[in-house]
Amino acid sequence: MKPVVLMVGADKGGVGKTTVTRTVLDYLAAKNVLVRAFDAEHPRGTLQRFHPDVTEVVDITTAADQMKMIDTLATSEVKVSVIDISAGLLAETLKAFTDVGFFDLVHEGEFNFGLMHVVGSSVASLDEIAEVLPYAKGKHYFIVKNFINDTSFFEWNPTVYRSYFRGAADAVEVTIPKLNEMAYEQVEITGVPFADFVANRQANGQAGNNSLVLRGYVRTWLRHITDEYDRVGLLDRLYDRTAAAA
Amino acid sequence: MTVSAFWTASTIEPPPRPNPADRFETPNGAARPSFAAIVASLHGRTGKTLFARVLADYFLLSGQRPLVFDTDFTEQTLRASFPFDTVVADLSETRDQMMLFDTIAARSPEARVVDVSHYVFRKFFKVMQDCDFVSEARARGVEPVIFYIADRNVDAYEEGRLLRERFADGALVLVENVFLGAIKERTLRSAGYRAFESHDLCMTLPLLDPAVAEAIQDAAVSLSDIITQPLSRSDDDASLGLTFEQRAEMRSWLMKVFRDIHRVTRAAESRAPRCAPVNSLI
Repeated sequence: MKPVVLMVGADKGGVGKTTVTRTVLDYLAAKNVLVRAFDAEHPRGTLQRFHPDVTEVVDITTAADQMKMIDTLATSEVKVSVIDISAGLLAETLKAFTDVGFFDLVHEGEFNFGLMHVVGSSVASLDEIAEVLPYAKGKHYFIVKNFINDTSFFEWNPTVYRSYFRGAADAVEVTIPKLNEMAYEQVEITGVPFADFVANRQANGQAGNNSLVLRGYVRTWLRHITDEYDRVGLLDRLYDRTAAAA
Repeated sequence: MTVSAFWTASTIEPPPRPNPADRFETPNGAARPSFAAIVASLHGRTGKTLFARVLADYFLLSGQRPLVFDTDFTEQTLRASFPFDTVVADLSETRDQMMLFDTIAARSPEARVVDVSHYVFRKFFKVMQDCDFVSEARARGVEPVIFYIADRNVDAYEEGRLLRERFADGALVLVENVFLGAIKERTLRSAGYRAFESHDLCMTLPLLDPAVAEAIQDAAVSLSDIITQPLSRSDDDASLGLTFEQRAEMRSWLMKVFRDIHRVTRAAESRAPRCAPVNSLI
């Protein structure tokens, strides 16, 4: 099976990109996929706080860290590498990966590549999509609408919307539902993967003392997301399994 | 001497609030669960709050002073009967949901009685299902029992059937309130009603003299007092304006209901999977 690189990015902050990455890591772990993650939010590393065992913080703009990510792909035991790209660096990162020849290797069938593009509600987000499209051609391109922090989202004008999406005919739309604010906040404070929060585990592996109501909210929310990723065949697409062809 | 207005109206000493560190034990030393009784009905005016009150008094008289939850934020009827033991929860607030479900699933020898207002029926059971309440509670030595009062309509039985399916691992007691009259023909033929034909946990609220029923609507009347105080012909005490015969009827009605509650809770307990030893505190 080919190594897979899955980028999660957005051109602007505050659209819940790291939250989406965290759900992807939980999803892959639940499917018994060996995964590693790179947190490009250098040097702070929000993702690393939640998934310290599998996450490394990288500075995506340096050649050294680009090598760290790409050169190890073929040798690593790990099947999927998830890269959480910090706000504003998506286009730049795609360009850098092009320059080092990564996309040529994808084209030659060395690697598989997927891009999860987390979009906000503004038209600026649509501009972003236009910017990213040239890189997404022939790849697995997921446009993620994240409702986690907001309910009155995505009131895009349908005409404008269609004109942008004409170029992205094979893009897959993914919707992340809203999570109860208090539950979200409690997970933030606890600093553990969502799945661990549901299982009432603390970061140190001890049994936690989280409210079962809040755990219930996260459990239900995570179940919806799992269903959504299953629906779009996230794993099948990344592995180029037949189901994705449909 | 007394701790609350409720107890002020009463002549018996309140049992002390149990210490959470105490353990309930069966003769062979195994930990016994405490009950979380959830009283619900799909529609209003089914006698739900009265039944919740009877349950609270049942636990009170059996030495497990109950903690009572009233989910009718507007009316707060139950709170009037048990002012110091009742917590009013507004289920539209996450904070109150946490307070309610986290408290009733907590390890404690206290019994818990929740009166689920029909206004929050769906919300309550959705949260209960989402937080996997039955297994969470059992892990802490709490045995949840849903007392579902079916009214005479088709949808009440249908909803009860769905409820039983959703909480298949817990106990659901079907409560028939005779006061609501005969079951409609249409209901008798419905799939929901027939689904309960061979249901094993059932009980009936027998008919009560309307004047008596009226008198006990008064929240200040202590049902426990009716049971514990000697029945005398002298009417100088606060005898609720009822005749001797009516008080006697009240008493036998309560005893009947208490016996039924005892029977179904024991049955629910014996069917439940063995609860974990108390020492394995979470």
